[in-house]
Amino acid sequence: MAEELKLVRGYPEYMRKSIERVEASRPRRLEEGPPPGMSLEEREELLKKYHPDYAPGGKRPLVAGPNKGEVAPNEVADLLEAYPLLEPGELELKVDFDVDILILGGGLAGTMAAIWAHEQGVPPDRILLATKLRHGDSNSIMAQGGTQAADKPYDSPTIHFLDAMGGGHFTNKPDVLKALVEDAPFIVKWLTELGCLFDRDENGEFVEEWGGGTSRPRMHAARDYTGMEELRVIRDEFRSRGFGLLEFYPAVELLTDPKGRVAGAVLWNMETDEYKVVRAKAVVLATGGFGRLHIRGFPTTNHYGATADGLVLAYRAGALLRDLDTVQYHPTGAAYPQQIVGLLITEKVRGLGAQVVNRDGEAFVFPLEPRDVEAAAIIRECYDRENCLVTPTGLRGVWLDSPMIEEIHGEGTIERRLPAMFRMYQRFGIDMRRDPILVFPTLHYQNGGVETDPWGRTNVEGLFVAGEVTGGVHGKNRLMGNSTLDCLVFGRRAGIAAAEYVKGKKAPQTVTLDHLKGFVEELRAAGVPEERRSPMLLPDYRGKRVLARMIDLL
Amino acid sequence: MSDKAVPSSAKASAAHHNASRVTRHALPYFPGCALKDQARGFEDSARAAMAALGYELAELPRWNCCGTVYSLATDDLMRHLGPVRNLVRVQDLGETRLVTLCAMCYNTLARSSRFVGADPERLERINAFMDDEADYRGGVEVVHLLELLRDEVTFEAIEAKVERPLDGLKVAPYYGCMLLRPREVGIDDPDSPGVLEALLSALGAEPVDFPQKAECCGAYQTVSSPEIARARVGEIVSAARWAGAELIATSCPLCTYNLEHHQVEREERETRHASPVTRHEIPILYFTQLLALALGVSEDKLGFAGLKFDPRPLLSDRELV
Amino acid sequence: MPEIMDRIKEANRAVTTGIDDSAVKHWVTVYIMGKGYRVPADITIMQAMEYAGYRFVRGAGCRAGFCGACATVYRTAGDWRLKTALACQTRVEDGMFLVQIPFTPAEKPAYDIEEEPADGTPLLKYFPEVARCVACNTCTKACPQDLEVMDYIQAALRGDLAAVAELSFDCIQCGLCAMRCPAEITHYHVAQLARRLYGRTLPVPKHVLDRVEEIESGKYEDEFEKLLSMSREELEELYRKEQREKGGLNSRDASRVTRNGQGER
Repeated sequence: MAEELKLVRGYPEYMRKSIERVEASRPRRLEEGPPPGMSLEEREELLKKYHPDYAPGGKRPLVAGPNKGEVAPNEVADLLEAYPLLEPGELELKVDFDVDILILGGGLAGTMAAIWAHEQGVPPDRILLATKLRHGDSNSIMAQGGTQAADKPYDSPTIHFLDAMGGGHFTNKPDVLKALVEDAPFIVKWLTELGCLFDRDENGEFVEEWGGGTSRPRMHAARDYTGMEELRVIRDEFRSRGFGLLEFYPAVELLTDPKGRVAGAVLWNMETDEYKVVRAKAVVLATGGFGRLHIRGFPTTNHYGATADGLVLAYRAGALLRDLDTVQYHPTGAAYPQQIVGLLITEKVRGLGAQVVNRDGEAFVFPLEPRDVEAAAIIRECYDRENCLVTPTGLRGVWLDSPMIEEIHGEGTIERRLPAMFRMYQRFGIDMRRDPILVFPTLHYQNGGVETDPWGRTNVEGLFVAGEVTGGVHGKNRLMGNSTLDCLVFGRRAGIAAAEYVKGKKAPQTVTLDHLKGFVEELRAAGVPEERRSPMLLPDYRGKRVLARMIDLL
Repeated sequence: MSDKAVPSSAKASAAHHNASRVTRHALPYFPGCALKDQARGFEDSARAAMAALGYELAELPRWNCCGTVYSLATDDLMRHLGPVRNLVRVQDLGETRLVTLCAMCYNTLARSSRFVGADPERLERINAFMDDEADYRGGVEVVHLLELLRDEVTFEAIEAKVERPLDGLKVAPYYGCMLLRPREVGIDDPDSPGVLEALLSALGAEPVDFPQKAECCGAYQTVSSPEIARARVGEIVSAARWAGAELIATSCPLCTYNLEHHQVEREERETRHASPVTRHEIPILYFTQLLALALGVSEDKLGFAGLKFDPRPLLSDRELV
Repeated sequence: MPEIMDRIKEANRAVTTGIDDSAVKHWVTVYIMGKGYRVPADITIMQAMEYAGYRFVRGAGCRAGFCGACATVYRTAGDWRLKTALACQTRVEDGMFLVQIPFTPAEKPAYDIEEEPADGTPLLKYFPEVARCVACNTCTKACPQDLEVMDYIQAALRGDLAAVAELSFDCIQCGLCAMRCPAEITHYHVAQLARRLYGRTLPVPKHVLDRVEEIESGKYEDEFEKLLSMSREELEELYRKEQREKGGLNSRDASRVTRNGQGER
């Protein structure tokens, strides 16, 4: 084994000088507080110059489908403008499962949809949840920071509404956003009654925190395992109710009836390659976002399965998408060590007082600018001003001065409030209580998606949507704490709406893949290369050397 | 857990470990599961009584089930992990003595301590398995509270502190098995014990002798063959009653459970044939409740609420509450 | 600007598309299910398996330590200990013999949490095997989150819901404890029930109940009607005014971040 780079408390020796400068400036920075925030004009200018969404070369207009002519990131366009994995007519569509409601996706939104469809009287054995990986494999389970709900006397749903509007650059769909903020306190109440443990103080009162872009503290967290706690509670509830569940069974195409209504899906057993045909009176699409597409070559905070499958399937079935032109880059992804590059360092770290500082220990940006602005400022510091550190693998990053948290809130705060983060760094020999951590923006969230009304209904009959796969509620930029809320609120609403929709309906007579025909023709007419196929289902990280020598014999 | 990548620094354990820090003058104390659940009154009254005597029962910061039933298989070291791990916790605190209340826990811990602690080979084997703990060196002494009261506090001193003598209260001391057998760990003469009587006398009560005081209550047979426990309890309670007892004092949550539950069943069955003048049930108390009562502890700390048969009418009749 | 994006893309290529080993200097050998592979030294077990040619279906999930999909057991040369790890959160070591345990068979009993008493009794009712715990502590040693699993099982045994909730909170339900337990306990299911029962003992704060009632009674309808009828310009102006007056975190009143970082005002 070759000699390795010498590490001092987890960092290469050469980074230690810079850490010393961060330590040296810390007392002054604690005393002075963070630098002031930017004016709207300053923000605008920064974004235009340094935000990946604004840099040319990343997007193109779509050549086919309901949103033809609108722009989307190249990586997304590559999947939307792609031929189905299945040829219509290739498969015998004999029905294997006949249900009232088919839910695709096993995160917070899908799980909520099942529970609330059941609450509306649909029997659990008439509801089937199918998911690509395990039930719970989702971005939901990785949500750290919290869930917004305006439930304190100093707050109101209308203020929450306005905050989210501002964060979304006033492009949010107002009626959908109203539903989000109005249901939030109910969701918190309901989860608490199910036994979900949100953080409380010693008097049993909820601890509610600030988040970037919120004018009131209204973030309900469960340590930094918020999404995991919410999800495992409702998944436990789901498992107690006896719903149908298929794991490792992604949907590879939606099915429609002769009237173009969504009528089920073709599922594919990822382990045996067998396909199954599910006929359903309604389909709830809760398949999450596109983080694993590594838009613009960025690393990602997202789950292994976040490959935009649902977006692709819905688009082919005629669903309108919106706000696909913006992508959320989280300002603080891990930039070191190499093993965790791109993983999320929750905004809560900055919410608790940690500043973002450069190589020389200078705080160069207000730490809680909206996410897009904060990310752009870090990119500028790293790639223009070059006041950054370069890791042994050539990545750039700036410091997030986590030890400030212990200085401000007292010893033990990091372990208590950020145990997941603390644990992760500890695993790689870094003590974030003592040393700062290195960060760089990372791909985080699909702001847009399938357009929906306040009840998860789409322009396609029989197709309901919820969670990150949807577009509208966050406009062009989501605030922290509104994504878990989105999944919970609209998962519930889509479940209720789907239950109402299927009431008294007969099962579709025939299920087909006919909706693909027109779409495929459109692709051919536009000259889309034949080999381009989707959905992607899984990203591929296999080593280049082994791929070069791979042969398919069986 | 010293060999782990992340030491047990995860916040949960920190809070957990600080729950009750054992001080030098306090007595390291092992409650056992039952005392945290259905036998809360046992612990509450013991704590209050000991406080009145100037002692603190300091619960071990971490502890696990004693093992419940002492394993008789001599090659089954697995069954000794639980009890020995508790002894390691005592050792970790730099202490050499562990006080228990529950007779069952006392028995299991004391026997394991002897079995493992006295044999270097067994000690080595168990330490090799428990590589996640500091090596147990042997030598932690397991003490039942009655022993402590008798040998260290002394009954004379207790008598001197009695504020509310239990004058004329006829109490049958019930030992059961676990305090007395086997002889090596028995806290008193297994054939003719007297420690409870001596304590009761010091408190001003009148101990009632009866032949079944050291007989088995039926123990866990209550689960699989309740008729066995029912028969045992019938004999024990009848004998105590014939001897004139108004109360029975115990040191064991399982004995208490059996004496309470099977007594009712028996009463219910008997009364179908008996005369209309039915006898009321005999309340079963933990000895610590009587101790605390006599030492003047306020009624709300005596833990009477958890008892199946309320002793308060009787006690108030005697102007004790 | 495009050149900055190109440079970012280039720097992240190994992370986003898989490892091209031309620049790798340090190597180790790991044995995946007994078969040896030479892999870069500075990567996780998960990345190493991918580098070696595995494309995960099972055994990979969030890739960030939150989901428990990549539970792994391994031994290293010269050590009899069976170690555990999350493949996504553990660096490879030279001579590591490893296999993933991507699934744990475990029955989760069905219950209606609202019908259960909010105390310790349901734990032993649904999981009587908890009483089989001999305190061997193997579960604790197996936990890749370094939780004191045995201690929370012991707390469950004595019905101490608060202690189970506290000690088990960071459990990611990977199942390694259950696979190693000689008493065949499914610890993570026990803990899940205990946490929910504990949650049931904590009342929903009154301000939440009040707000839900206010919303249901239509208290905010007028205000919403106004907001929904506003033009974008009007909304923008109102937003700026609100942010300025109420001093949200986007305001220039930066000191707020440190003082109000915790709790409400």
